[in-house]
Amino acid sequence: MNQSELKVKQSETLNAFHIISLSEGFDLSPLFEEKKREEKEELRFATTKPASSVISKLEDLAKSVKFSVRKSESRVRLEGSERGRKGKLSIEAEIFAMTPSFLVVEVKKDGGDTLEYNQFCSKELRPALKDICWTSPAENPTPA
Amino acid sequence: MGCVYSKKVRRSPGYEEPALLASETPFTVSEVEALYELFKKLSSSIINDGLIHKEEFQLALFKNSNRRNLFADRVFDLFDVKRNGVIEFGEFVRSLGIFHPNAPIADKVAFAFKLYDLRQTGYIEREELKEMVLALLNESDLTLSEDVVETIVNKTFNEADSNGDGRIDPEEWKEFVSRNPSLIKNMTLPYLKDITIAFPSFVLNSEVEDADMAA
Repeated sequence: MNQSELKVKQSETLNAFHIISLSEGFDLSPLFEEKKREEKEELRFATTKPASSVISKLEDLAKSVKFSVRKSESRVRLEGSERGRKGKLSIEAEIFAMTPSFLVVEVKKDGGDTLEYNQFCSKELRPALKDICWTSPAENPTPA
Repeated sequence: MGCVYSKKVRRSPGYEEPALLASETPFTVSEVEALYELFKKLSSSIINDGLIHKEEFQLALFKNSNRRNLFADRVFDLFDVKRNGVIEFGEFVRSLGIFHPNAPIADKVAFAFKLYDLRQTGYIEREELKEMVLALLNESDLTLSEDVVETIVNKTFNEADSNGDGRIDPEEWKEFVSRNPSLIKNMTLPYLKDITIAFPSFVLNSEVEDADMAA
């Protein structure tokens, strides 16, 4: 495992409490929103695949939807070529290494219209990342 | 048994006046009234008694009243300040107040500590941390080897347990959070600042109109 490929943010290191905070039990937003979880702006998931897999999945996705890619060791930025309702849609994915075999990826909208971002996430991003991230039992039709 | 004549409508136990709650939380009076609309909806979903039961909480969070979750249990227990097994309106607003963006950070830090102190011993023990990590992995259908789990737990403990006594005390937790501010990110719900906008479909009733509703 190339641990040297990934740098954890110097100012803050990821730890067990970060992982725990991913729990749906802490997410009170369903009390307030009719919207489903998938429509939230920030997408966070964990994966046991190496960072290079995550990055190449995102690059493949970008190619298929004709988005441009800018990447560093732990960040990938996708930007659409067409101007949407609020300018070009851009998305940033940041990869945090908990251990060499356990990563947390955080995907945020960087620019553009939120509705377009949400559609992009549900139509393109989630399907592309499906086989490298886990989904919560609520999203799975089969019981846990 | 005689009738009790009261000036106002009969309220469920644990009801507190919006003005009082607004004065003691970051919410305004109209925000508390909006929360009352939400509370009425949540507390009547299964048992219509003006109190939020565990099943109603689970239904609201997971769309499944039977879905059990360690962390949701902890949140429920902490909201249930009086520990009578239900969340009353006053408890609901006061606890949510801690998640408001304007709530004091110290309150959020303390609440998070109590959340993670599973057995309420006043410390977060290594076993509790491991239990929570395992619960999260289980919830997400992910299996990690024992080694990896141990590595994650040990790494965290070494960072947080500065006096090395095998448990995290409130002081250590405070210091740990000050070095890692994102740890209490889940203690802030940004939209609580815009509650009255978040519920455009709710009619904001004044107290007088509520007299029509049975408690």
